Amino acid sequence: MRMPEPERREQGEQIIPLINIVFLLLIFFMLAGTLSAPDPFDIDPPEARQGLSADEPQEGLLSISAAGGLAFEGDAIAMEVLADTVRTRLREDEMLRLTLKADAGVRATFLLDVMDALRNAGADSVLLLTSPES
Amino acid sequence: MRIETGQRRRRQLIGLTPLIDVVFILLIFFMLASSFSNWQSISLGVPGEGRAPAADSETLVVRVLADGSLEVDGDRIDSDALVSRFRVLFAEDPQRTVVVRPDDGVTLQRIVTVVEHLNEAGGNRITLSREAR
Repeated sequence: MRMPEPERREQGEQIIPLINIVFLLLIFFMLAGTLSAPDPFDIDPPEARQGLSADEPQEGLLSISAAGGLAFEGDAIAMEVLADTVRTRLREDEMLRLTLKADAGVRATFLLDVMDALRNAGADSVLLLTSPES
Repeated sequence: MRIETGQRRRRQLIGLTPLIDVVFILLIFFMLASSFSNWQSISLGVPGEGRAPAADSETLVVRVLADGSLEVDGDRIDSDALVSRFRVLFAEDPQRTVVVRPDDGVTLQRIVTVVEHLNEAGGNRITLSREAR
């Protein structure tokens, strides 16, 4: 009867350091990472050596994929209705700052089409997200 | 005495396992859902239709050609020359607007690099514009 008791203790003692480490990892990922809605498509942002560091905003974010797909605040959207959607959104929130998250391979002409739509929607400047050079 | 100690140990063990399960699930959720990408931002002006850049003599125009080379006032220059040339201009008036005009087929990466060179030279009012027709 005495033999099994110490085994139980060992099991209990081995689990506690495991929980400690798992808790530490959990807290690390909670604090260090930022939760954000996934993009509807893969975006490989352009690289830049300098630039103000920025958080990826949830509001006013316009994603542009290399293939020409558009998504405003996480929802895929057609080019034709982009201006109207953004205009409505800007009326709701006048302090809203538009942010472009575009793939490095987006064609300039397409980007200018998007810029035209944003101008029609009433925006006068946008922030373009880049990633630091690796 | 034996019964009490046995119950205590069992309660501890029973309580720990679901806790570990939940903590593991949370850990995996945060590992998958959180992103560690380090974002930077560049401010770009959206050009207005009314203030056409060509009409304004104060506005500087940089054309980005399809092969990636740069053209200022009809001269083809490389990026180092661009920086030194614009540094002189921005030293006089840092508020001068620069219009970047990319040709068809220029990718965003190239535009960002050019905008970055302009920032390096001291320019902070940079807009994109369509090629004049």
